[in-house]
Amino acid sequence: MANSPFISHATDPDAIATRLMTRAHNRDGLPEIAVGGTFLLVSGLSYAQVALPRGSIGFKAAVTAFSVLVPLLILGSPWILKRVRRRYLMARVGYVEAKPMARKQMALGILLALAMAAVALLAVTRWSHPDGWLLAGTGLFGGALAVWCGRAPRFVAGGALMAAAGVSLAIAGVALEAGFAILFGCMGLASLVSGSIVFLRLMR
Amino acid sequence: MSAKIQRLAEVDRVIHEPSRLMVVALLAAVKEADFQYLHQATGLTKGNLSVHLSKLEEAGYIAIEKSFRGKYPLTICRLTERGREVLAGYRKIIKGAL
Repeated sequence: MANSPFISHATDPDAIATRLMTRAHNRDGLPEIAVGGTFLLVSGLSYAQVALPRGSIGFKAAVTAFSVLVPLLILGSPWILKRVRRRYLMARVGYVEAKPMARKQMALGILLALAMAAVALLAVTRWSHPDGWLLAGTGLFGGALAVWCGRAPRFVAGGALMAAAGVSLAIAGVALEAGFAILFGCMGLASLVSGSIVFLRLMR
Repeated sequence: MSAKIQRLAEVDRVIHEPSRLMVVALLAAVKEADFQYLHQATGLTKGNLSVHLSKLEEAGYIAIEKSFRGKYPLTICRLTERGREVLAGYRKIIKGAL
């Protein structure tokens, strides 16, 4: 009875808090702009690795940039967002300090990431034609993640677009690097445009 | 079952009001937040929010700290330990009854 399914979302404080927090987190469009920028960078660097001759300076620069810049951007973007909000947007969107992540939640996230990495590694090393599976899997997983994280109609549309793009690229038999470049390019652009619209509407 | 239903009469009236429940639920999910953030997140008018914050502060459920960051006046709100306990009790009663 303690976890009654009949309890309304309107009166469950956890549901209210999660909904409000998610809405507030995405209220200025900055997370989408950051994700869009990161995806476009991933797309550009993936394309450079396809287009440039292997062993050339450009190719090596693209590989180095991919392995250094992308993780840095992913790890640093929450800090950058916090600084930008506090420096330029506080008067408009307010100040909030999130609770530190619970150890259980953090452990679950790390486990999930490790499981995903293991599946990806298995796909690359064991299966004879993993490209399609990887593209479709990335599209479907990324789409589901976007819907779960955003919990708003525009994220549902973005998630559906990513899933459809991943599956379409897999069916079309596009090579892995080119497929990732197209997939992340489309998603980056969509996310950037969506975030920019939200941000401009907020600033007006 | 009827005992659980009857416990609904014991719910804390200060928290039970929807706007205040929204504020408390939001503050329970964060470490601290300022007035502007709560205004944006809840969609309440500034006057309405101000009244509800005062009631919650009077009840001892939230702590309000006023300061400045540069020229920007900052009214920081955080849930007190008492507020957390009352919210937990409220949840227990509501979940048990519905």
